[in-house]
Amino acid sequence: MNTRKILQTDLQQMVFLGMVVAMKIILGQISFGSTTVKIGLGFVGSVLLGYLFGPFWGTIGGGISDLIASAIFGNQGGFFIGFTLTAMAGPLIYALFLYNKPVKIWRIIASTILVTIIVNIGMNTLWLHIMYGLNFNALLVQRLPKEMIMPWIQMIVVYFVLQAVSRVKIKK
Amino acid sequence: MGLRKMCRGSLMSKIIIGRYIPGDSLVYKMDPRGKLLITILFILAIFLANNPITYAIITFFCFLAIIATGLKARVFWNGVKPLIGLIFFTSLLQLFFMTGGHVFWHWWIFSISSYGVENAIYIFIRFTLIILISTVMTVTTMPLEIADAMEWLLKPLKIFKVPVDKIALVISIALRFVPTLFDETLKIMNAQRSRGADFNDGGLIKRAKAIAPILIPLFIHSLETAIDLSTAMESRGYRGSAGRTKYRVLNWSKYDLISLAYFILLVGLLLIFRTH
Repeated sequence: MNTRKILQTDLQQMVFLGMVVAMKIILGQISFGSTTVKIGLGFVGSVLLGYLFGPFWGTIGGGISDLIASAIFGNQGGFFIGFTLTAMAGPLIYALFLYNKPVKIWRIIASTILVTIIVNIGMNTLWLHIMYGLNFNALLVQRLPKEMIMPWIQMIVVYFVLQAVSRVKIKK
Repeated sequence: MGLRKMCRGSLMSKIIIGRYIPGDSLVYKMDPRGKLLITILFILAIFLANNPITYAIITFFCFLAIIATGLKARVFWNGVKPLIGLIFFTSLLQLFFMTGGHVFWHWWIFSISSYGVENAIYIFIRFTLIILISTVMTVTTMPLEIADAMEWLLKPLKIFKVPVDKIALVISIALRFVPTLFDETLKIMNAQRSRGADFNDGGLIKRAKAIAPILIPLFIHSLETAIDLSTAMESRGYRGSAGRTKYRVLNWSKYDLISLAYFILLVGLLLIFRTH
């Protein structure tokens, strides 16, 4: 992969990881779409972490991004280690499907659906259940409509982003 | 495309400081590590509350902490405000789905019971308290200090061979570059706009496509910065994290002991008064 060849040393990798984590935090603050369906771009950061750094460092980068975002912007809904785990699980799943692999539509569809089911519907609902003692079914009723729409939009974005990122070559 | 906090004053300084509001009260004198620990423990302690008395106690302690910050109530209201709709909605849903106790109203799968009402109120209080106590933390501590405290908390993970030093490096670089990249993002967006890019128009696919022209320059910029920065670090003698000294040192203060005593008192009271 191009980025691998560009970044030759371990230190360069780590510094770039720091930059991508910063990128994920910024993307998390940006949203697009109409007023009815607002889509945050944080998932693009997760995809980049998984795609560029693989399961290990991608996962760590995801965790760091959650910690720093809460340090800077405050954690909506309070500090809770569960949401850090959530932020780690996303890049992990994307890494398992996309790291060092050619960009294929089925990989994007499969990873996005898995992230939606495991991370957004499963883990996040579980944390809210644990943290606030909320009724699981009531939470699902509240969260499912959004999670039914989001993944399809995310897939389109991820496809265009990865297409573009995989073409990046730096000429110095 | 809406950037939160985009157009208010100088962005750079806004983000470096984050939600931090300067002050000079007891809470400000605490060590960030102490604050972070107490915040996490306080959120855990909320789980101990399970009856009206314990909820009253923990609410009282939370408000003591808020008063100890010496900040205006508006600051904390601003922390809760963006989420108040969500909190209400969630509490309402819980009200309809919880069953048990005396039933006031019933229709299909929905019912309002005494147990449900009680639970909805508890959930509302929990939500608010957790947000308030997290606000106390982020408002009184600079992001840099919070990051240092997090680094300290991660240290025990060394036992499990987690590369804590590298993580600390990544944390400080990411923290340093969030404002820079934020400014860069705005610049790129404006540059693309000046050539006719439209981020708010068109169908879904068109909007998805519009993200690449922002992301790719940002990505390349980050890549170049990473190469330059690592070269600069190496030429200044950076050879990995081992064997280095620390310039920014955190110091425990007597105020951390006070807040620790305060927390132990809280947990003691909760343990005594909760229904077992």
